[in-house]
Amino acid sequence: MRKILQKIAKKSPWLYRINAGSCNGCDVELATTACIPRYDVERLGCKYCGSPKHADIVLITGPLTARVKEKVLRLYEEIPEPKVTVAIGVCPISGGVFRDSYAITGPIDNFIPVDVNVPGCPPRPQAIIDGIIEAIKIWETRL
Amino acid sequence: MSSFLKIALRNLFKSPTTDPYPFGETFVPEGLRGKAKYNAGACIACRMCEHVCAGGAIQIREVADKSGLEFILWHNTCTFCGLCEYYCPTKAIRLTEDYHTAHRQEDKYRYVEKGFIKYVNCAGCGTPMVPISPELLQRAYEHVNKEIEMLRHLCPKCRQKRALR
Repeated sequence: MRKILQKIAKKSPWLYRINAGSCNGCDVELATTACIPRYDVERLGCKYCGSPKHADIVLITGPLTARVKEKVLRLYEEIPEPKVTVAIGVCPISGGVFRDSYAITGPIDNFIPVDVNVPGCPPRPQAIIDGIIEAIKIWETRL
Repeated sequence: MSSFLKIALRNLFKSPTTDPYPFGETFVPEGLRGKAKYNAGACIACRMCEHVCAGGAIQIREVADKSGLEFILWHNTCTFCGLCEYYCPTKAIRLTEDYHTAHRQEDKYRYVEKGFIKYVNCAGCGTPMVPISPELLQRAYEHVNKEIEMLRHLCPKCRQKRALR
């Protein structure tokens, strides 16, 4: 039974999006990849979900501002294992143009183990699709 | 309601609008600012790119053995603003239309564009200096004659001496 479930689950990872203080640029691109038929990410079997408890692949945008840090970490804890983390945009990867600011608690991989990086300010929908494909590959090995 | 039906009926006979990207060909809009490409041969190490870089992605440093300068551009903090290309006097740095940026975490710090400018020795006194690229001469002079070509191999001090002679 478990084996069958593992086989089925591979084909439909659910996406969950965390905004860690993003400027909304990357979020718009994520919405574009998800909602606009041109870049339909659901072809890959992915689906955006509203609850962290259903998520398999976590997409994080934003440089992790001091204000949302605790909330993001709490939200991340709620996502069940195994999970794959994808950092979208330049901010979560390195801090981007906000690096060394007092309001930023640093690149996200100081607190959260990241698996795939998709730099860009913001990345193109095709680049995000690339990142999600990479994340699905990692997700298959973790099941 | 009837207008909606009209659109629905029309769409029945149209091909899908979805871009077949991960499985097929995609498109690149003209003038898209993607990953930057660096040409060490044209660079004159004026450090303008380092100065204007909004994300602080560019670094030009002297290497440990002092044989030249090293150019490093870390794509993971580059915002594709294009200021480096705009301000580069010799257009040694250019933004390409390559936007495929996804990579794994292991490669985070290896995801860089690198270049190395080897110092050349001055033809007069032999002190090491940054080579003057032909692109700069093209920009500075209308016609590059032999005289100017000779000055190219001299360090600023020797050039001054020669001019005052």
